[in-house]
Amino acid sequence: MCLAIPMQIESIDGFTARCQAKGVWRDVSLFMMQDAPPAVGDFVMVHVGYAIQKIAEADARTTWELLDQILEESGA
Amino acid sequence: MSESRVWLDKIHAFEFNRPIKIMNVCGGHERSITHAGMRGALPQWLELVPGPGCPVCVCPEEDVYQAIQLALQDKVILVAFGDMLRVPVNVKKGEVRSLAEAQAAGADIRPIASPLDARKIAQENPDRPVVFFAAGFETTTAPTAAMLAEGIPDNLSILLSGRLTWPAVAMLLDSGSPGFDALVAPGHVSTVMGPEEWSFVIDRHEIPAAVAGFGTESLLASFYSVLRQLKTGERFLDNCYREVAHPGGNPTGRRLLDHTLDIVDANWRGIGIIPSSGYALKPAFAKHDAHLLFPDHTDPGRRRAGEMPPGCDCAQVVLGKIYPNQCRIYGKACTPRNPVGPCMVSDEGACRIWWAGGVRVAADA
Repeated sequence: MCLAIPMQIESIDGFTARCQAKGVWRDVSLFMMQDAPPAVGDFVMVHVGYAIQKIAEADARTTWELLDQILEESGA
Repeated sequence: MSESRVWLDKIHAFEFNRPIKIMNVCGGHERSITHAGMRGALPQWLELVPGPGCPVCVCPEEDVYQAIQLALQDKVILVAFGDMLRVPVNVKKGEVRSLAEAQAAGADIRPIASPLDARKIAQENPDRPVVFFAAGFETTTAPTAAMLAEGIPDNLSILLSGRLTWPAVAMLLDSGSPGFDALVAPGHVSTVMGPEEWSFVIDRHEIPAAVAGFGTESLLASFYSVLRQLKTGERFLDNCYREVAHPGGNPTGRRLLDHTLDIVDANWRGIGIIPSSGYALKPAFAKHDAHLLFPDHTDPGRRRAGEMPPGCDCAQVVLGKIYPNQCRIYGKACTPRNPVGPCMVSDEGACRIWWAGGVRVAADA
């Protein structure tokens, strides 16, 4: 349940960010990022609809590869 | 040579003349370990023990029972993370034993993926009470606190079963027989709360610890770190997930938790009360506290109330006392298709992870 997925911010409206990860779009809350507000283009770790931390692009891409592997193998 | 190979070689270069057990307390860690087949690639003397890393597994049986009754008797719209729907309670044959069965019986129960979904459903149904049954560790409870702090509709209340991870580890360490020599601390709990939450493992118990992420490299690096600490005798809280778990964690998230929730003694299913291990809504949010708003349907006289299901060793699995396939019913009466215990229900449960990872045979007794 503590799984978090990196997403890239495409636009921001108040505390809501339109985010994208590998062709999937979601509205993500930035309410937990008030001490370090991210900007459009930044990557954030998203957990249950909330951004919980910024992440560098290279680390985001590594994490996407890792998640692909896990999801592929756990297709049970 | 890949980075993983380098870490594996460094780990294999250690020599220990006794079994070393490293505990993880995160379903995500256990999933990465199992799916990467790490156990088979590590030295014989090294054991990786899944510990208390599944909030669904320890969610009090009474809370699940209460959620079912709220949906059935009080006709609320009950929303919960999907993992909770198949968790069984202990009732007589023929009675409704899970939220999924209550849903099949006509109750309005909706799986959600985010607290934001709960708020949206409440906004779309202003004339009906909506209850968000919220189980989870710190990582998941912080977003629930955020939703509460931002403001929620009057018709939305929260049946909160949030738990803190570290007190379960503290309980194991204080017991005198923790069952592990070193700890891999959870990456996303540390992202929100700060890695420092785990300093007590070193400061009070002199047990090596390292925060890890979810990739093979990060996990292997954390294993190497704690093994090196065991070898050299030098103890420190290492952080092998620096790209995401920063010192101090997420200050907004921590402030929102402090603002909305109190920390209370709390029940863990099949384990009992662990001091200061649970979250409860602060009095200022009482009008959104489902524990206060609705009748208490939990009958403490109910047979096996609060316990794991009969025959199920989930509590021992959660505490890392036995491996999943050492449970009496693993792979026999209990499979993902027909789960008996919550550890076989939840994606974070060690039993389900091991089954998905191909462990289909019970261990020899």
